Amino acid sequence: MRQYIIRRLIALPFVMLAVTMLVFVLVRVGGSPIGIYLEPGMTKAEVAALNERFHLDDPLPMQYIYWLRGVLQGDLGWSGAASAPVMEVYPEKWAATIELALAAGVVAVGLGIWLGTFAARRRNKPPDQFARVFSVAGASLPNFWFGLMMLIVFWAWLKWFPNGRYDIALWESIPHPTGLYTVDSLLAGNLTTFLDAIWHLALPSIVLGYVAAAMIVRMMRSSLVDELGRDYVDAARAKGLPERIVIRRHARRNALVPTVTVIGLAVGALLEGAVVVETIFQWPGLGRWMAQAVLAGDDATILGYVLFLSVSFLLVNLMVDLACARLDPRISLQGSD
Amino acid sequence: MSQFVESTAVRSAPRWGYGATVRARRVASLAGQMLRNPATAIGMGIIFLMLLLAALAPLLVPENPTGTYQMPRDLVAANMPPGTPGHPLGTNVLGGDMLYGIVWGSRLSLLLSFVVVGIAIVMGLLVGSVAGMSGGKVDSVLMRIADVFLSVPELIFPLTIAALLGPSFTNIILALCVVIWPRYARIARSRIIQVRQEGYVRAARSIGDSRFNIVRRDILPNSMTPIAVQATLDMGRVVLLGATLSFLGLSQAGLAEWGRLVSIGQSGITAGWWWSSTFPGLMIFLWTLSFSLVGDGLRDVLDPRTEGR
Repeated sequence: MRQYIIRRLIALPFVMLAVTMLVFVLVRVGGSPIGIYLEPGMTKAEVAALNERFHLDDPLPMQYIYWLRGVLQGDLGWSGAASAPVMEVYPEKWAATIELALAAGVVAVGLGIWLGTFAARRRNKPPDQFARVFSVAGASLPNFWFGLMMLIVFWAWLKWFPNGRYDIALWESIPHPTGLYTVDSLLAGNLTTFLDAIWHLALPSIVLGYVAAAMIVRMMRSSLVDELGRDYVDAARAKGLPERIVIRRHARRNALVPTVTVIGLAVGALLEGAVVVETIFQWPGLGRWMAQAVLAGDDATILGYVLFLSVSFLLVNLMVDLACARLDPRISLQGSD
Repeated sequence: MSQFVESTAVRSAPRWGYGATVRARRVASLAGQMLRNPATAIGMGIIFLMLLLAALAPLLVPENPTGTYQMPRDLVAANMPPGTPGHPLGTNVLGGDMLYGIVWGSRLSLLLSFVVVGIAIVMGLLVGSVAGMSGGKVDSVLMRIADVFLSVPELIFPLTIAALLGPSFTNIILALCVVIWPRYARIARSRIIQVRQEGYVRAARSIGDSRFNIVRRDILPNSMTPIAVQATLDMGRVVLLGATLSFLGLSQAGLAEWGRLVSIGQSGITAGWWWSSTFPGLMIFLWTLSFSLVGDGLRDVLDPRTEGR
């Protein structure tokens, strides 16, 4: 077990290197990022000095090494889209995205496991058919369109939910030590701002969570159906356990093993979905920043985002492997790679 | 899976004559089985209607003389609601006719899905068979490259590639090709490794068939099942991904493409102009949905053990 973790942790930086190297080459082949540093009326010598300063005349591998050195020193470069160093804007945007992704994750996992269990218990009955439609639709639904439809109905038309991340007056009424609006409200003991945070989170987290929930429902249902057909379930029923206990204590625990793997993949859907969902809901997080950076050709931000995303995704999937080993003692992580 | 491999692991018959009849009969029987599942039948129906829409586009809405895939701009009739004479589905904020976008956009989606999936299959088969047949170092290097693409969420690479190439529909297609192939390479490689040890491949090798011939005549025909399922699912998914990129601004302005149209409609939702995002988005949803229904149905029929999952 420990060996496995160590091996994965050693492999992690290499995957990171490969991913960032590929993206780095891609963004640099597209052209020099000198444009964002130029000002009108600069002389040739000044431009040359800039090129010299940011090593833009060096060969590509050298440029990558300079970028990497910057990352290790906590310097991700200058963001043209935010007009500030990436590292300065990063924590605030990161907090906004993490808050949204966590809320969406709660929606996805809660709804996914509940609906999956519900459907598996009533196999081929209306609840099961509903779960099937729910998951098939979720896999095909364009999240940008779904988000807009929710905004049209619940924001523009019914006016039940707001758009954006906060009510500016309420946001400014409390200190923000963590940057997570809900947590900050609780720390400040302010119920009004807490409700404001939840109210703003509701729509985007449902939209972002839906795709992930659809994946989880599908896996939860099919693995629970498999488990319910096993002998140990018959044995549990035969000794007179109520169905509720049979499912909760016996079958569901085993059915969770493949589901947890899918949850790991769903985290990827949450992180990349943030690009679109944050754009639609005016959410000031990393995703919207990335969408702006892509259009503005802002290399530093793109690279910073890719780094964040791949690190989170790989770490989450490592945790998923560990969770599976925990849930099912038969899984040995020794031999597998 | 192995059970299935045995049942179809037939050395391909001569091109025409008996073999072709058997194959045609098999396809017809598969189609019959698929149609018995209502979800699959609905999916096939939607796909048929979409293809009809794409084929009949010039008859339904006259082509825009300034450019086939450019939205015509009716400058005196912006933001007209559905049901306006001349604009049955209304117009958007730029005066573009929504019906034009829906109808001609179906051709762009068709183009996108065929080109991307086609190129991805060819690249994937090529890389996968080279990796599977060579083994050793070549295999590990090629598969590690494929893993890099599979190790991060799928939108990230196309997003950066399309951004680097500049906003255009062609670049969206190129960007998607780069990320879709690794899955086919994995499928082809795993099939080859499974099938390589089968008696009929060993027999082919022993009579001195070249590697290329073995791959072409024995291995590829036996890899077609999982590839067909994946390709059907991808036909829908790539349109969804492409529309997402287009929505984020990576296609040309004014293009009659569904994702782009949803994005244009965004600005009008507070003013109550709901139609200009709703219709094109619905088309993307139906497109992706129908291919995923048919893909699932195909999998159930080809691999009966997954049925009812």
